[in-house]
Amino acid sequence: MNVSLTMTGRGYPAAEGLPANLTLADGATLDEALQALAALVPAGKAPDGNCLVAVSGRHLGTVRDHQPHVLRSGDELLLMAPMAGG
Amino acid sequence: MPELSAKEQERYSRQIGPGVLTLEGQLCLKRSTALVARAGGVGGPAATVLVMAGVGRVIIAHGGRLASPDLNRQVLGSEEGLGQPRAEGFAQRLRSLNRFVAVEAVDHELDDQEALALARQADVILSCAPSFAERMRLNQAAIAAGVPLVDAAQWGMSGSLVVVRPRQTACLACLYPQQPEFEELFPVVGGISSALGSLAGLEAIKILARTGEPMYGRLWSIDAYHARTSIVHLRRNPHCACCGSENPEAEAQS
Repeated sequence: MNVSLTMTGRGYPAAEGLPANLTLADGATLDEALQALAALVPAGKAPDGNCLVAVSGRHLGTVRDHQPHVLRSGDELLLMAPMAGG
Repeated sequence: MPELSAKEQERYSRQIGPGVLTLEGQLCLKRSTALVARAGGVGGPAATVLVMAGVGRVIIAHGGRLASPDLNRQVLGSEEGLGQPRAEGFAQRLRSLNRFVAVEAVDHELDDQEALALARQADVILSCAPSFAERMRLNQAAIAAGVPLVDAAQWGMSGSLVVVRPRQTACLACLYPQQPEFEELFPVVGGISSALGSLAGLEAIKILARTGEPMYGRLWSIDAYHARTSIVHLRRNPHCACCGSENPEAEAQS
């Protein structure tokens, strides 16, 4: 199944070159998707543990600490790295 | 009770009407106080929007002196203001926009006590600060005072907007249980700062004028670099150190 990937916030240039979709086994979990993503990004560019994680508009926590979740084909995985004002 | 003068009604005539503000809503704005913490790239446009819309009292807090790199986004600054204290210079600019609004300036970053004291005077707080420590301080003050918080953040050509209804929707500490390390000087283009600041101001106006649907409990992610936008429905953390219903310390402060 395919899950679309959006990486935004601080460091979004690190997402350049990543596929727009992650191809995962049916019934894959959020943790499995994050592991698949980590394998795609260059060393040292993996999403920060404080990145906010949402699936199809539903907030699940941070990369470090989130609710378990089973993904469905067509879901949107959003990772938003911390930002501030100024 | 303040009323709107004929001159004020003339000033605001373009924003009073169906689907915008009612006369009563405009009066609500006049009776309101907004605290804008940092009036730079994000907070400057936010404060501008509030002043032009007729929020009766706008308090801006911003320390330091205006420097050249500020002028890529801090719309309240100017070439003439370089080297001058930002708070009073920005306040003067805001006062020049609307004689019907009282603008007050605090010339430094708020500490915990000041943030709470000003939060208790405010009807809405706009968090536009460049550090997580300051954003969390404003969040804490908003929760403690029971005042809505509008938080805007940015990086590069992206940004986010969160609106918090204390103890009813997720607060910033629900989103970030561990305060992220964050550099205060980061790349940003003024266009995204102004866009986020204006949207933050608009959310505050909706809250104060009791019109429209404030974005409570949601996060609006705007990635202008990739021309993408997302809405995230936020989850309140019952164990949140700041607002958690199952956190005895947070509950004791409610």
